[in-house]
Amino acid sequence: MKRPASIILMLIVLSCGYRAEAQENEIKVGVMAPEISLPTPQGKMVSLSSLRGNLVLIDFWASWCAPCVEEQPELKRLYDTYHQSIKKGKKLEIYGVSLDSKKPAWEKAIRRFDIKWPQVSDLKFWSSPVAKTYNLEGIPYNVVVDGDGYIIALNLHGKELEDFVRAGLEEK
Amino acid sequence: MKNRIQQFGFILLLLFSITTQAQEKQEPWTDAQLMPTQELADKINNSGKDKPLIINIGPQSVIKGSVDVGPGKEKENIGKLDKTLAKVDKKREVVIYCGCCPFDRCPNIRPAFNELKELGFVNAKLLNVPKNIKVDWIDKGYPVNQ
Repeated sequence: MKRPASIILMLIVLSCGYRAEAQENEIKVGVMAPEISLPTPQGKMVSLSSLRGNLVLIDFWASWCAPCVEEQPELKRLYDTYHQSIKKGKKLEIYGVSLDSKKPAWEKAIRRFDIKWPQVSDLKFWSSPVAKTYNLEGIPYNVVVDGDGYIIALNLHGKELEDFVRAGLEEK
Repeated sequence: MKNRIQQFGFILLLLFSITTQAQEKQEPWTDAQLMPTQELADKINNSGKDKPLIINIGPQSVIKGSVDVGPGKEKENIGKLDKTLAKVDKKREVVIYCGCCPFDRCPNIRPAFNELKELGFVNAKLLNVPKNIKVDWIDKGYPVNQ
């Protein structure tokens, strides 16, 4: 009798420890997207929470990341199509978070693709605290956030992303 | 006649596969020149005198004590690399790293490593970064700048 009890106790202790670690900052569907507040190239602070009420796509990218850059025209098309609200009051917003380290390279990429959505960066490359907060393991990476700030999808690209955005804007 | 064409085609295919195989192996580095991150971290942490010269040839320097030369795909930065190495002993261990992404996909690695070889650095090393400098260096608690 003594033994099973101690095993159970051990399991409880272990699972608590595991939970505490996992809870540190979990980026998954259903949780509130952690706040980001960083400057645009013009130096204006723009926060993720300031875009509440919209369907927000957080795009983690950098001008030095070839696959990220390749995706920009696609995001632009998406933005041009869905930034106008389909149903009253709801539209797509993109929040570009760059892991660039040099401002001129970042600005050049924004100009090249004529990006109109908010672009922010602390120009700290992989040392950026945002990379830690969002547990980034590589880019391109994105997070879709609903009007209330909750994460509703992770890392969708191409047709999958467009279908998700369209469905998200059409519902309700 | 048909047989001949078939034979010819077969030989062509064989030649093609040999050349593609050869191309795959033509990286400027050898396996022995790839340095694991743990090894470099140990070298930085140990207070021995034979510390390698560490040079960032990617978007930004992250590793403690590394010299920031800038992306190796830009000619101007290869010039900076030359200047940095101008007075360095050719036998000194020189470790370059990029860190943006898996090292073999980083566009800065090859021009910089080729330059090291051309300059005659016999102990040139390339940091083996399987994912990126965050996952393989910062997250592991290895020494960083500042």
